[in-house]
Amino acid sequence: MSNPKLKRRSFLKLGVASAVVLAVGGGAIALMKPGLIDGKLSPAARAVMAKVGQAMLVGTLPSDPKALHASTDALLLRIDALLSGLPTFATAELDQLLGLLASAPGRRFLVGLSSSWDVATTTEVGAALQSMSASSTELRMQAYQGLHDVVCASYFSGEESWAVLAYPGPMAV
Amino acid sequence: MSNIPDPILEGLQRGWKVFGGKHAPLPQRIECDVAIIGSGAGAGISAELLTKAGLKVVIVEEGPLKSSTDFKQREPEAYASMYQESAARKTKDKGITILQGRSVGGTTTINWTSSFPTPPDTLKYWQDTFGLKDYTTEALAPYFQDAQTRLNIAPWAVAPNENNELLRRGAAKLGIKAEVIPRNVKGCYNLGSCGMGCPTNAKQSMLVTTIPFALDQGATLLVETRVEQLTIEGGNVVDMQCIAVKPNAAPVNAAGPATTVVAKHYVLAGGAINSPALLLRSNAPDPHKLLGKRTFLHPVAITTAIMEQSVAAWTGAPQSIYSDHFLHTQPLDGPIGFKLEVAPLHPVFFGVNLPGFGEKQAELYRMYPNANLMLALMRDGFHDQAMGGKVELRSDGSPLLDYPLTDYVLDGARRAMLAMAQIQFEAGAKLVYPGHEMGVGSSTWAAAKAHIESLPMKPLLTKIGCAHVMGGCGLAADEKMGVTRPDGVHWQLNNLSIHDGSIFPTSLGANPQLSIYGHVNRLTQGLAKRLTGKDVVLATSN
Repeated sequence: MSNPKLKRRSFLKLGVASAVVLAVGGGAIALMKPGLIDGKLSPAARAVMAKVGQAMLVGTLPSDPKALHASTDALLLRIDALLSGLPTFATAELDQLLGLLASAPGRRFLVGLSSSWDVATTTEVGAALQSMSASSTELRMQAYQGLHDVVCASYFSGEESWAVLAYPGPMAV
Repeated sequence: MSNIPDPILEGLQRGWKVFGGKHAPLPQRIECDVAIIGSGAGAGISAELLTKAGLKVVIVEEGPLKSSTDFKQREPEAYASMYQESAARKTKDKGITILQGRSVGGTTTINWTSSFPTPPDTLKYWQDTFGLKDYTTEALAPYFQDAQTRLNIAPWAVAPNENNELLRRGAAKLGIKAEVIPRNVKGCYNLGSCGMGCPTNAKQSMLVTTIPFALDQGATLLVETRVEQLTIEGGNVVDMQCIAVKPNAAPVNAAGPATTVVAKHYVLAGGAINSPALLLRSNAPDPHKLLGKRTFLHPVAITTAIMEQSVAAWTGAPQSIYSDHFLHTQPLDGPIGFKLEVAPLHPVFFGVNLPGFGEKQAELYRMYPNANLMLALMRDGFHDQAMGGKVELRSDGSPLLDYPLTDYVLDGARRAMLAMAQIQFEAGAKLVYPGHEMGVGSSTWAAAKAHIESLPMKPLLTKIGCAHVMGGCGLAADEKMGVTRPDGVHWQLNNLSIHDGSIFPTSLGANPQLSIYGHVNRLTQGLAKRLTGKDVVLATSN
């Protein structure tokens, strides 16, 4: 579900946007916890990215629960590695975005997901992401694309993805 | 372990003067004849010619000094260490992803080697609109030829890989001319890994040509060092304040400048976006409010085809065939024209650039060996609805480009997607996906045409990329129309020249590296003559 108050022409001004979302949700900015701690995913952000990653890569990640758990952990490690190379302003944006998505108002109004992250199914998260990807609200599309880039860049950074693609790897020189 | 010689490690062993990062500690103060900001296409050409003229040169590069020993053909390492913002630089509204280099050699270290002269109709527009009377094909020819000889630029003589061949095949069936791309390579292994740094030193980038030449002549190179500010007094630059930076561009020490560089003359060649940003941080004079404006991107629209046969788009020369047909099907200032090429596909690039996610995407991932990604570079800067973007500064001083995608440009994206899809089907595609968040695969040209015509072309929905940033310090014969004089000197700062892609007053309509080499060759030969009285050329260094 989108909120017209979130419509904006400018870039993810999450400082302002998150305040709007939290106000809509009846909360206060102080409720929002950081998305990153020491430059890595916070526990709450790990829960968000685990579910987002599983929904975006459904059909690509293994379906067996144990193997899926291991692949998700590997994905989260690679996301941490990707974060470590980003400039400070970009990690600050992701810190805000992930903190916002992990908050209940952010999850409801920005993602459009009613279930909490820990119980949401892959189908529910997938439907929410689909709605974000073609939303009429710029902020929701920006957030979706940020998540898509982080998940795909991290997943395909791993050599495990090569088997999925049938990519033989670089030629030896 | 590779047996390929590493010219950078050999140079360091010979005693090159390199400071910063893992090299010798940065000196507090350096004096020289000419300080060059950046080490990419414009900086490299400038450094070679100025050292050849006998001048004492200091080169300052924000990124690290990497070399063939480091180039493992792995995307994650390459993007994190050799691209601006880890290859995730975006425009202000996140509508366009921008690929730009950030290591010694700049974008030339990681580009795909395509080398085109400046199109004659672009030069004619500059003459007519910006008063650049001596910017003619004929006047520039010797400088372009000199650069082509120095960097071994010639049409690719090897058969194109299937990724490129299918552009030629599909175009031919439609009667559309497609030609061979000239490349700056010598002894190319045809690996296809140019975008991750050439592991065999075949690519004649600045990293292995002009920068080593300048260092052998005694130039000094500061790496992992960013010029934060130019100190400006009375219409001159008096020094530049530099700081050491970490791999992610954050300051090593927030307390203050690490190094002051004092020069008689300064050459700004940090590339479009970064060069105007430094002038903005330095409060450079900008009486006509032109600085950073008219920054152009060649916005890129894409379509992905799945072919019947293997394409293996990760291997072979990344770009060897192009078509300029759609640059000439309408007037220069009519509906936006576009140049057609293809992109090499490695796992991260493929995964990030496919719109959509989930089960449908999983099917596409499994068809990766048969995938072709065609791209259209749209020629911005020639129409009042394609005036480019504006460079701004974030609160931390880092640059941010505000580039609104207009309906005019997005109409071009639709026309380009239609043209590319038709060519892909003619070449034998079984499925074509437009680069759009609502794009789906079509199995016939008729279905693809109807689908692409129905898509809402809006920013963020339409996938737009960029690998060519130009403008922001445009050339003009009248100071009311440009930041840079026709001889490359800043209109208001007497001892500052600008020698990079930021000086182009429009986009080019062609991949920019050879244009930067050729134009900067002429500008630097003029500067060397003014500073030393000497005549110097590039080609004798070869």
